[in-house]
Amino acid sequence: MFSQKSKKLSKEITEKRLNDFFILIILCFVIVIINLWYLQIIRGKEFEQKAINNCIRSLVEEAPRGEVYDRNGKLLVTNRPAVNFSVIPAEISDYQTMSDNLSLIIFMDSSSILDKIRSSKQNPFHALTIKRDLEKDKIITIEEQKYKFKGSLLTVQPERKYLYQNLASHVLGYVNEISEEELNAPTFSHLSGGDIVGKSGLERYYDSYLRGEKGKKDVEVDALGREITTIEIKNPVAGNDIYLTLDCELQQYIEQQMFEKKGSVIVSEPFTGKILAMVSYPDYNPNIFTQQMTTAQWQEIAQNKDNVLCNRNLHSIYPPGSVFKVITAIAAIEEGIVNLGSSIYCPGYYQVGDLSFKCWKESGHGKQAIIEAIANSCNVFFYTIGQKLGIDKLNYYTKLLGLGEKTGIDLPGELEGLVPSEDWKRDFYNQSWYPGDTVNMSIGQGFLLVTPLQIHNMLSLIANEGLFFRFYHVEKIISQSGEIIKEFEPQLINKIDISQNTFQIIKEGMKKVVENGTGRLANIEEIKIAGKTGTAQNPQGENHAWFIGFAPYDNPEICVTVLIEHGGDGSTVAAPLAGNIIRKYFQLKYNQIAKAEQF
Amino acid sequence: MPEIKSSHFLSDKSFLNQNLRLVKHIDYTLIFSVIDLCILGLLVIYSTTHQEIVNEGAIQFTKSQLIYILVGLFFCFFVAIIDYHDISKIAIPLYFLSIIILVYVLISGKETGGSRRWIQLAGNRFQPAEFAKIALIIFLSDFLSRQKDKLSDFLYFTLPFLFTGLLMLLIYKQPDLGTAMVFFAITLFMIFITGISWKYIIIVFLILLSLFPIIWSFLRDYQRNRIILFLNPEMDPLGAGYNIIQSKVAIGSGGLFGQGLFSGIQSQLKFLPAQHTDFVFSVIGEELGFIGALLLLSLFILVLRKGIRIAQEAPDLLGTFMATGVTSFMFVHILINIGMSMGLMPATGLPLPFISYGGTFMITNFIAIGLLLNIHLRSIFT
Repeated sequence: MFSQKSKKLSKEITEKRLNDFFILIILCFVIVIINLWYLQIIRGKEFEQKAINNCIRSLVEEAPRGEVYDRNGKLLVTNRPAVNFSVIPAEISDYQTMSDNLSLIIFMDSSSILDKIRSSKQNPFHALTIKRDLEKDKIITIEEQKYKFKGSLLTVQPERKYLYQNLASHVLGYVNEISEEELNAPTFSHLSGGDIVGKSGLERYYDSYLRGEKGKKDVEVDALGREITTIEIKNPVAGNDIYLTLDCELQQYIEQQMFEKKGSVIVSEPFTGKILAMVSYPDYNPNIFTQQMTTAQWQEIAQNKDNVLCNRNLHSIYPPGSVFKVITAIAAIEEGIVNLGSSIYCPGYYQVGDLSFKCWKESGHGKQAIIEAIANSCNVFFYTIGQKLGIDKLNYYTKLLGLGEKTGIDLPGELEGLVPSEDWKRDFYNQSWYPGDTVNMSIGQGFLLVTPLQIHNMLSLIANEGLFFRFYHVEKIISQSGEIIKEFEPQLINKIDISQNTFQIIKEGMKKVVENGTGRLANIEEIKIAGKTGTAQNPQGENHAWFIGFAPYDNPEICVTVLIEHGGDGSTVAAPLAGNIIRKYFQLKYNQIAKAEQF
Repeated sequence: MPEIKSSHFLSDKSFLNQNLRLVKHIDYTLIFSVIDLCILGLLVIYSTTHQEIVNEGAIQFTKSQLIYILVGLFFCFFVAIIDYHDISKIAIPLYFLSIIILVYVLISGKETGGSRRWIQLAGNRFQPAEFAKIALIIFLSDFLSRQKDKLSDFLYFTLPFLFTGLLMLLIYKQPDLGTAMVFFAITLFMIFITGISWKYIIIVFLILLSLFPIIWSFLRDYQRNRIILFLNPEMDPLGAGYNIIQSKVAIGSGGLFGQGLFSGIQSQLKFLPAQHTDFVFSVIGEELGFIGALLLLSLFILVLRKGIRIAQEAPDLLGTFMATGVTSFMFVHILINIGMSMGLMPATGLPLPFISYGGTFMITNFIAIGLLLNIHLRSIFT
């Protein structure tokens, strides 16, 4: 506490300072009042007029997205005009009545219309799209009852159109209104609610190229919503067109072949990484997303038990089964465990401690050298060399050949899969790695999980003898004025250190697979194919059927990976399909050459 | 000097008598000015929100605001009754509690519109930064009244700024720059009252001025935009400058007598965003005109005048500082809110005391008035 004297002194000072404070308060209020006088009395009339007229209505003109062409210049995705119903929130006097009236016409919940208006955080003078792509009869009804919809307008905007319906739907993807979550993401920060963005596939991956720039038309309207003057017009700029590496006809052919099956097919050029076809089946029609879906429609698609939205090539993981044996073989040759001369006897089973691992041929293959073992897919041979390699080596070569890693393809959402190791099993299951696990893994079973795209990557690498090319779908991106925005070249991303000799042995084995081994049904007369079958057991049901192959054998032009989910045997289900695809590819190629020569 | 114990003068009376005496001497001018402001606020909130689409019915906002006012009044009298010397005893715990809650808000507060400012408590949302203003006022009053004589020592002079700075930093992180600035202004005014020499005041301003480029670099883009747009709103008439222009048009179109309650062109057509919270003054300007705005300003001046008077007549320095803190808190809010509506200040989104819609802020305002009543009562009985 203070002494009486100092208290008195400070009392005086504080009282004086408090008076100063009050003077400051009064001064500020005087400034405020003078300003009020200026705004309300001096300029009042002018502002009043402005308030009556002042209504700058801003209409957004959506830009048409860029078009998508296949490798032969065939148009796959374009835009069509659609009529949208929009409102200018500021001009609606009674939201409830408006939305009640509207819901009767467009069959949309009155409350969800209100939600839409309420959750829009934009300027109340910006037109807000309530319903896209109205049907003709609804447009007519709204036009007839125009008096009920003051403050609303019908505008013509471009909508996405997928010309071939379901064709390549997983590759192309689809577009839809931007979600709240996406709006908060930095990549979309410059967009606003109601904007259309690519949601999956190439539409998503190349969204920034395809989207274009919105146009804008600001007009001054009076209190009744009548246009007085146009203040500013900015025309929309259409997005860039993209030209794919995809061959529309080949894609179509494969999709027909996949009818009523589930699974995936990838066809690419091994020496460039260009994807010629990528099929995931069952598929969907991306056009349905263009019209506004009801929640029920969306749920039907999203919760469909066949998982139609999932691109099985990169969004699903499977055990690779016997197609994996090529990796075990590569590892064993590289590590000097086997060579062309060595052979292993297959009695039809392989004993590890108390456990007996079976060969698929119960009577056994007898004496097998490496090329025969690959051709016959002899389990016992690979069990034996797998165990000699041990898990560490096996894990090393599996990763070296690209499994357990994203391939870097130009599609969103690629999965990594799983390449197990001793440490992984200890961390995940709190168990040590058993010799049986190694034996299992050496034939592509057990914990190992891969995407078909990773297997395809491994296949291309064998065809290329060690070169990794990044997979891609887009040849070039061209602006509306014809200027090349971007051109994509084959991109060599890695070269692995495996000897020429090893690849020769593997390729020879794969050739024998198709000539007289498990992949005989892939054989076609015209061309020599090298391949490998796989039948992956899975606890959930029927086996998955695999076939991987490249052709021609001596100078690979294409690689094909086929996976039929729960299809059964790789040699009877997947192999003939792959053979047909390769035949179709060469047919298309020679037709084109013939056509070109005609002209 | 003996410590003033207000309970002494009441010690021989029954509890009922004590409170009756207190009620008799309450500053009714202050209370009724505040209630008038609240009524004006209710009218404006009803005017701007009665067309709003809310599930619970159109007058939900008005109803809630009425409840906030009643709860506020309860807090006001509760705070008025407890001797402010007793309140100052928990100044330090209050300060630390504020810090803890503000840290908690940053970690697990409710996020709305990109900032974390709210916490959920018993089904209600609270904005702890509001209560922290009261905590700061009590804490600084306690500190300054104790250490006043040492303030000429530069170390002691910087201490209050450090205490405030910590709170400001936590609030800036939410981010809520406007509220953080209120904390700074309150501290500045309270220190000014201590009689600190003008030399120091000039030094503070010079430091602030020289720090401006650094502060500028710490601001977020939208905050910089607000300052730039404040200087030139026409730069982006449909984007961020939109609010300022629309608000000015609304106020201007009110003229002398206003467009009439419930019939403002701008406000009824929803040209103004956040009109029942931040831009509430524009609605008053538009619907009640110059006359209505003057009425509002007079009520505010009355409240502030009372605040200054109570500070001057306080029985001790603790009371003086508390009353000054409360008055400066009110003043800063009024000045910034109205200044922003008229385009005289950057848009910071501070609410207008007793008028703007909002529970936490209303209760905080009433607690502040409760402190003023409290100090006033003790000055009568000493």
